[in-house]
Amino acid sequence: MKKAITAIIAVVIIALMALGYADTAAHRAHSGDGNAEVNPQEIIFEHLGDAYGWEVPFNHSKRIPLPVIVRGQDGSWHAFMSNRLEHGAQYDGFQIAQGGDYNNKVVQVLPDGSQYRPLDLSITKNVAGIFIAALLVLLMVFKVRNWYKKNGMKAPRGFAAALEVVVDFVYTDTIRPIMGKEAPKYAPYLLTVFFFILTMNLLGLIVIFPGGANLTGNLAVTMVLALITFLVTNLTGTKHYWKEIFWPEVPTALKLPVPLMQIIEMFGIFTKPIALMIRLFANMMGGHMVVIVFMLLIFIFGSMFGTAIGGAMTPLSVALSLFMLLLDTLVSFIQAYVFTILSTMFISMAHVHEHHE
Amino acid sequence: MELFKPEFGLAFWMFIAFLCLFLILAKWAWPFIIKSMEERADLIDKGVAYAQEAKAHMDNAKAEADKLIAEARNEQAEILREATKMRNELIEKAWGDAAVEAKKVTEAAQVSLEQARKEAEKQLRTEVGDLALQIAEKVIRHNIANDDAQRALVNQYLNEVEAKN
Repeated sequence: MKKAITAIIAVVIIALMALGYADTAAHRAHSGDGNAEVNPQEIIFEHLGDAYGWEVPFNHSKRIPLPVIVRGQDGSWHAFMSNRLEHGAQYDGFQIAQGGDYNNKVVQVLPDGSQYRPLDLSITKNVAGIFIAALLVLLMVFKVRNWYKKNGMKAPRGFAAALEVVVDFVYTDTIRPIMGKEAPKYAPYLLTVFFFILTMNLLGLIVIFPGGANLTGNLAVTMVLALITFLVTNLTGTKHYWKEIFWPEVPTALKLPVPLMQIIEMFGIFTKPIALMIRLFANMMGGHMVVIVFMLLIFIFGSMFGTAIGGAMTPLSVALSLFMLLLDTLVSFIQAYVFTILSTMFISMAHVHEHHE
Repeated sequence: MELFKPEFGLAFWMFIAFLCLFLILAKWAWPFIIKSMEERADLIDKGVAYAQEAKAHMDNAKAEADKLIAEARNEQAEILREATKMRNELIEKAWGDAAVEAKKVTEAAQVSLEQARKEAEKQLRTEVGDLALQIAEKVIRHNIANDDAQRALVNQYLNEVEAKN
């Protein structure tokens, strides 16, 4: 009975996810200028990008308003809710640009009619999504901590047990073998990274609020994460780590007078975090993109061969999208884990000592 | 393309959010969770080691008990064998004794029989002598008339003796 209920709930959630995608895609496909021509690229990038409000499924005239915080050209701060800028409206000299260099961004309209892109610290859809993800992680982890505090040495039950499997896998089986004695020092950072990325990945797969923001498929988000790993790696690096970069043990001809090895090693410092950044970003964005493309197949076929053919595509589209969503769920876990294990390795590689060789 | 241009605002908030999350979790949650997990792992490891030790102890004890039982069995068999042997010996000895005794009894009986015979012989001889003397006396008393009459008398007495015996 319990199993059946769980299965039904899972099916309903997955169906809602697919429906949400289809709905969004349908809306985007028909909200243009009435022209039946579908522009998949525009739809995909609009879906993957950021927004100043949070769309509600099945009601396209409404968006959950979010605060817009900008600093104008004169250095004054302006804060207002995003619903004031809806449908091209102008507020306080600001509006959302349509087309041009700042497409879909808040711009200040200067007296001479030109557009100025202000310093934009708005709580956009993605920022709100990040806050929600952080809050979820906080709740999740503290729930487990409180369970431990209350039950001590008992075998974990329920949520604590579910999370412990993951913590055990990430900490005991990954971080500790790689870092050894230093594991407890860096584990809080690495575990936070893992759970934060995982939560953001999974939230991105849920179409309706509070999910739907393409968080880890956004370069700014992965950039910050990679930057922090980069800082931790290089700020805690040992003398030997720096010696390996500036004076590696290779024939002197490779180091002087042309600092060949040094240049290569310097590249190595930066390629590692950049690889981290691109890997997570590309994996998550790619997954989202494919899901939308599969859904858009209905409308692409519809506009190319007529509505009937488009309609006939629906079962195939839904099936393919479901498959991709499930695959993305797997990818969410894998990418969060990969980011964590690579961060662990980069940090531990910067902690080499002479006697390790 | 918009997607490949990282927005400063988003990066800024992401950094703030991550920092807050990290600081809170690193201070109040992760160390405690890791410590609890490791303590419990230790406890379980110790429990398993203890159980294994206890099992080894028990196995030892069982082996010892088995050994004791086997020894007791052997001893029992030994005792039984010994008892059987003793019984047989006893029986044999009893038989032997009985035979000797029987022989003694027989011999004693033979001796007494011989004696009785001898006594009887002696008695017979005495009696025969007496008889002969009586006959002789009678013969001498009748030593009168004829020899025939005396001869008849002797015969008569002899017949008497024969009839007696």
